[in-house]
Amino acid sequence: MSENHDIAIIGGGIMGCAAALRLASGGMAPIVLDRGDLGQGASGVNAGTLSLQIKRVRLMPYALKGHEEWARMGDAVGFRRTGGYTLAFTEREAELLTERQTLKAEAGAPIEFVTNNQVLSAEPNLTRRVLAASYCHEDGYANSSLTGQYYRGRLREASVPYRERCAVTSITRDTQGFVLHTGGPPIKARRILLAAGAWLKPVAAMLGVDLPVNARINTVSVTERMPPLFATVIGHATGLLTMKQKGNGTILIGGGWQGRGTPQEGRGEVIADSLIPNLSLAQFALPKLGQARVLRSWTGFEANVPDFYPLAGELPGVPDAFVLGCVRGGYTIGPYIGRLMGDFILGHSPEMPLFNPGRDFEKDAT
Amino acid sequence: MRDIVDISIVGAGPAGATAALVVGQTECRSLLIDEQRQAGGQVWRAKDRSILSAPATPESRSGDNLRERLAASGVSQMTDTRVWQIERQGEHWVIHTLRNGTAGRLYSRAVILATGAREEAQPVRGWTTPGVIGLAGATALFKQSIRLPGRASVVAGTGPLVFFVASEIRRLGGTVAAVVTPNTRADWLARLPSMMARPDLLWRGGRWVADLMLASVPIYWGHAVKSVSGDDRVIGVTLCRLATDGTPLPGDIGIAADSVCLGGGLAPSIEAAQLAGVAVRYRPDLGGWVSEAESDGSTAREGLFLAGDSCGIRGAVAAELHGQIVARTALRHIGQASASDPALERAYRRASRFGEAMTALSVLRADPIGLATPDTVVCRCESLTRRAIEDEIESGAVSSNAVKSGQRAGMGPCGGKYCQSSVARLIALQENRALSEIAPPTPRPPIRPVPVSALAGDFDYGDLPMPKPAPL
Amino acid sequence: MIRLVPDHSARIQRSEKVPFTFDGVALMGCADENLAAALMQAGVLHLRNAPGDGAPRGAFCMMGLCQECVVFVDGQSVESCRLTVSPGLAVKSRR
Ligand SMILES: Cc1cc2nc3c(=O)[nH]c(=O)nc-3n(C[C@H](O)[C@H](O)[C@H](O)COP(=O)(O)OP(=O)(O)OC[C@H]3O[C@@H](n4cnc5c(N)ncnc54)[C@H](O)[C@@H]3O)c2cc1C
Ligand SMILES: Cc1cc2nc3c(=O)[nH]c(=O)nc-3n(C[C@H](O)[C@H](O)[C@H](O)COP(=O)(O)OP(=O)(O)OC[C@H]3O[C@@H](n4cnc5c(N)ncnc54)[C@H](O)[C@@H]3O)c2cc1C
Ligand code: FES
Repeated sequence: MSENHDIAIIGGGIMGCAAALRLASGGMAPIVLDRGDLGQGASGVNAGTLSLQIKRVRLMPYALKGHEEWARMGDAVGFRRTGGYTLAFTEREAELLTERQTLKAEAGAPIEFVTNNQVLSAEPNLTRRVLAASYCHEDGYANSSLTGQYYRGRLREASVPYRERCAVTSITRDTQGFVLHTGGPPIKARRILLAAGAWLKPVAAMLGVDLPVNARINTVSVTERMPPLFATVIGHATGLLTMKQKGNGTILIGGGWQGRGTPQEGRGEVIADSLIPNLSLAQFALPKLGQARVLRSWTGFEANVPDFYPLAGELPGVPDAFVLGCVRGGYTIGPYIGRLMGDFILGHSPEMPLFNPGRDFEKDAT
Repeated sequence: MRDIVDISIVGAGPAGATAALVVGQTECRSLLIDEQRQAGGQVWRAKDRSILSAPATPESRSGDNLRERLAASGVSQMTDTRVWQIERQGEHWVIHTLRNGTAGRLYSRAVILATGAREEAQPVRGWTTPGVIGLAGATALFKQSIRLPGRASVVAGTGPLVFFVASEIRRLGGTVAAVVTPNTRADWLARLPSMMARPDLLWRGGRWVADLMLASVPIYWGHAVKSVSGDDRVIGVTLCRLATDGTPLPGDIGIAADSVCLGGGLAPSIEAAQLAGVAVRYRPDLGGWVSEAESDGSTAREGLFLAGDSCGIRGAVAAELHGQIVARTALRHIGQASASDPALERAYRRASRFGEAMTALSVLRADPIGLATPDTVVCRCESLTRRAIEDEIESGAVSSNAVKSGQRAGMGPCGGKYCQSSVARLIALQENRALSEIAPPTPRPPIRPVPVSALAGDFDYGDLPMPKPAPL
Repeated sequence: MIRLVPDHSARIQRSEKVPFTFDGVALMGCADENLAAALMQAGVLHLRNAPGDGAPRGAFCMMGLCQECVVFVDGQSVESCRLTVSPGLAVKSRR
């Protein structure tokens, strides 16, 4: 026997889950399908940085709204608004910092430039070699490991069915909509939302659509528990470092250094040639980090399209099919843009514009 | 030009060391790496330099003999060196090492992983009390430091190791308060035919048991430690009898002791192979999740070979023979003529039969989590109780990865080595699924904790290879 | 009483004892002896407090894996079961 749903969502990451919740609250009956467990893709392994200082200028309004969503989710996702510093150590980096953070502040982020002394009095364990810095009191982090647990709970509360270890392998159409083929009985739905993260390309291909989705493979590391060394989120002018110390004392280090592997192979590898400079940069910023032992490093796949703006809207050429993904800073923005996407599918006009997946990606989408 | 070794061997236990000896007879450049200070592995672990003299044991003799042969062979050794990551770069394997607080790397055409085993333990109330050490861990204390775990020890666990440990405690002048083993005498009798392959070892084990009986040490067959009492040190244990399916029967027995050696068999160390991309499969008869390898040591990854207990617990004798077989496979891989040796393979199969019988006795019987109460700590690193993990499973986390993400079981410093099999069992029980369906969590480097300072080293900021920043 | 397993305790010779400290408390241990073993011998079993419940913990696996025996030497965390005693060694715990 096969089941019928108003909408089937392929991908149980933050995008798929957030959209599902909005759709359910708007009166639709969604089902969420994931190849693995909910929130074990990018949404469960990312660095969890909620920083306006590393968001793209054009996405700032979405990120500001995203921060509001995270504050609402609160403890259940390990949310902390700690404030964050972005540091520059060289003249070139200082220029980059000034140029970029000025534009971000103009876009609405409460970012201010601070002196070396202000940084050091707030964070005395940071290096003395800060040349320039900016601060944003809105910045903070959440615990991405809790993504699966959180959304599983929310979906259950909202009586939204979800299926884990349920990979969609092909999609066909019938008179009522779509038929999704998985290992088990086929799943029928009037509409579908593709929210398969770094796997959007093969999933869209099941409907004959070629989405130019690429994947970056970002590295994150965590140390053993340490005594309190710093309280805010630390970033770098280039974006190549994010660092935070969690309440339990562990220090999480990211910055988008690249590992090896492709989403298709499924296996990402940490490569020492990326890990070592990533940790070196972190230790440069926080010399006492040297004493900490790294316990784990891992990688995750972050999807993007050539213009590095989101895919959020109708899947070109396939009525009743939608796509949501490729959002830079997608953990921060996910809960908000997922809601917008839900509104769009429900037929409401979303609070902020979405990002047409049928656009010309070679032109900078402005 | 960087230095390229022909064959690197990780692990200088019986498997890795004998493999190195075989490779050492050729013109190949080889290197034997181990995190211990000397070769010998777990079974033939070398003594601390604090021991000026001590009576020889079969283990110390075999170990000394192995170390002498290695020294005479001129095989290059890197001891006190931990391997924390293995990656493939083009034509070569890169082995990342940590030694004296400094990270290094080695390039190798072929790698033999002979990383051996670690101990499984059954979580029971109080097993985290100081004074409770692993049963195999106790043998490390005896071999290395020739010290006792306490004045009066309860020795509890499966297989032959429990009698070896009890006997060593007596040999070193200590007192065995009791021997507790879930195995019954009938379990042992059932394995007798396979043990006949090694009458010498059988005889040695028989002596251990007879000595304990002569000394009136109580031996509790078919029993298990149910809880350990004591706050910051052990003061006693409570035992219970087990039904044939392993569930506890009523009627507790209390025993005073200041130390407990607690073991539940061995499990292969699969992390290094997993990181190198070797798949795992569930083989409870070989100790649990084992890396997929052919009997000649070859794997699905080119130039990567596995030897010894790391591909299934078969014991030291088999490991020594396996190392020789796998060395030949690796030599052929790098283009050296090295014929396989049918006599060696026969001897290996014989030794494996004996080893597998011992493993069968060492594997915990059904429901090994059954003695853990709801408030028993299951994940030592994060102090997570059975209840916390069951609640997480109840809330929908039905894979090892999901429980790890939600509760941090496996995110602590041991990397899940001491909780994963319990977590998997709890999932299997609650979800009514087979253990073979509950894979261990995704492996993550480093294989051992590495100080950031070791990886960062001394560097000039300007030399950091900084990629282009992300688009604005 | 007949012993099939002889008592060898009297036949073990060890290196000279040297002073070291654990959280400032003066202890003696054999030079070059495994630190976890020397601490055990000196009656120091409680090496750290567990996170969360703060319960006392001590060496467990004796092979460098479980991390229960971690102590601090020169500010760096190290497994005591992988370290040896040397004169004047100052061991700190996070008890
Ligand atoms: C290492 C890393 C660090 C990051 N750090 C940050 C950060 O600090 N701050 C920030 O804001 N953002 C960060 N990001 C970005 C952010 O994590 C992502 O943008 C966001 O999580 C993407 O969510 P998603 O739901 O689109 O994708 P995912 O979370 O990857 O979800 C996609 C899901 O689809 C499933 N799926 C795929 N194919 C199929 C199929 N055929 N059938 C069924 N299911 C399928 C997958 O199993 C997966 O669960 C980081 C990303 C990575 C990888
Ligand atoms: C603690 C312990 C004690 C044991 N005691 C006995 C005993 O007394 N009698 C008995 O019959 N069997 C014993 N066993 C079982 C025994 O391990 C095996 O049967 C036998 O030693 C297997 O030989 P092997 O060469 O495969 O592995 P091992 O002897 O375990 O050798 C593996 C070697 O690899 C090294 N290694 C592992 N990972 C790394 C890494 N990442 N970097 C560098 N080096 C690494 C280890 O230090 C070790 O020396 C014990 C097992 C354990 C875990
Ligand atoms: S006792 Fe386990 S790491 Fe030292």
